Amino acid sequence: MEGVRNLRKDPGKEVAIVLPVYNEEENIRATVEEIRENGISWDIITVDDGSTDRSRELLDSLPVTVIAHPVNLGYGAAVQTGIRHAVAEGYETVVLMDSDGQHIPSEIPNLLAALDKGADIVIGSRLLGESPGYRIPFLRRIGIWFFSALAKMLGGTRIHDVTSGFQAMRRDVARFLAEQYPVDFPDAEVIISLALKKFRIAEVPARFRRREHGVSMYSNPIWAFYYPFKSILASFIVLLRIIRGKN
Amino acid sequence: MSFQAKMIITVMALVNLVFIMELLRKRKLSESYTLLWLFVIGAVIFFTWAEQFLSSLTRFFGAIAPVSTLTLLSLLFILVMLIFFSMKIYKLERVIKELAQRVALDNARRYK
Repeated sequence: MEGVRNLRKDPGKEVAIVLPVYNEEENIRATVEEIRENGISWDIITVDDGSTDRSRELLDSLPVTVIAHPVNLGYGAAVQTGIRHAVAEGYETVVLMDSDGQHIPSEIPNLLAALDKGADIVIGSRLLGESPGYRIPFLRRIGIWFFSALAKMLGGTRIHDVTSGFQAMRRDVARFLAEQYPVDFPDAEVIISLALKKFRIAEVPARFRRREHGVSMYSNPIWAFYYPFKSILASFIVLLRIIRGKN
Repeated sequence: MSFQAKMIITVMALVNLVFIMELLRKRKLSESYTLLWLFVIGAVIFFTWAEQFLSSLTRFFGAIAPVSTLTLLSLLFILVMLIFFSMKIYKLERVIKELAQRVALDNARRYK
């Protein structure tokens, strides 16, 4: 695996990999083990978002930092807690990954390489890369296209895969997101707010994999209906806040 | 409005008053919310008996019957209350999220 950084060396607090976890007893061990099998020895911060299965028990047996929400707060809150911990502990770079196995750890060096080229935040894009066996549902693809266009219109940045949770960011971005991060569906509005704040956003191709166990939060029909309306509203409010100097 | 209608509304308002005071006594309602509901009950009784004022208000709204004015005022009040409680719920959500995150961060099990 080639990368600008030495994956096995951890000079202090260089990189933290944040994994939000909610009912991932069938995936979490494999995800952590795959990260380590790829020779990545950076600290892994897991945030259990009030799982009701054995996820928490499994996390305690893994070589990771475990932060456990006492109650379920939502995906965005779990990510934010992880980012807050990373910022408080002084990590220079934060990598966000899902714990369901869809994000492939061997892609992390590509994200970090783009950071090292000057970006403040890098999005791992499944639309730019080849992901054999991974298929984005038609409606979701339309949604991604729509929010990508919205992000371009409001934030001026063309990001193809605005809903990708596979990201790497510098400490400045992490500090910003530690303060304000949406509780649910932190997608387009985050990209728009970062673009409006003049952070340099880059996108690199990344392979994704199909989830083998469990279900995605997007599979709930109520959430699927709520998601686009919430994201459109949130995106315009982000713009309004920036214009009125409230952000 | 007939005397009978006025009496029914007044009795209902007074029953509500007893209910609210009982909730306060049992510590199921705070003083601040009790004051709000006492104000509402007072307003209902006032509008019911202050016929002149209600008639003026009815003319101002362009309504025909005073009861329509009372209904409109009630709807406006319910709308304001719903917005108020939405704001309260959102504030509580944020507080709970903040507290839960702090508890989680304070109890983090570091691996090293």
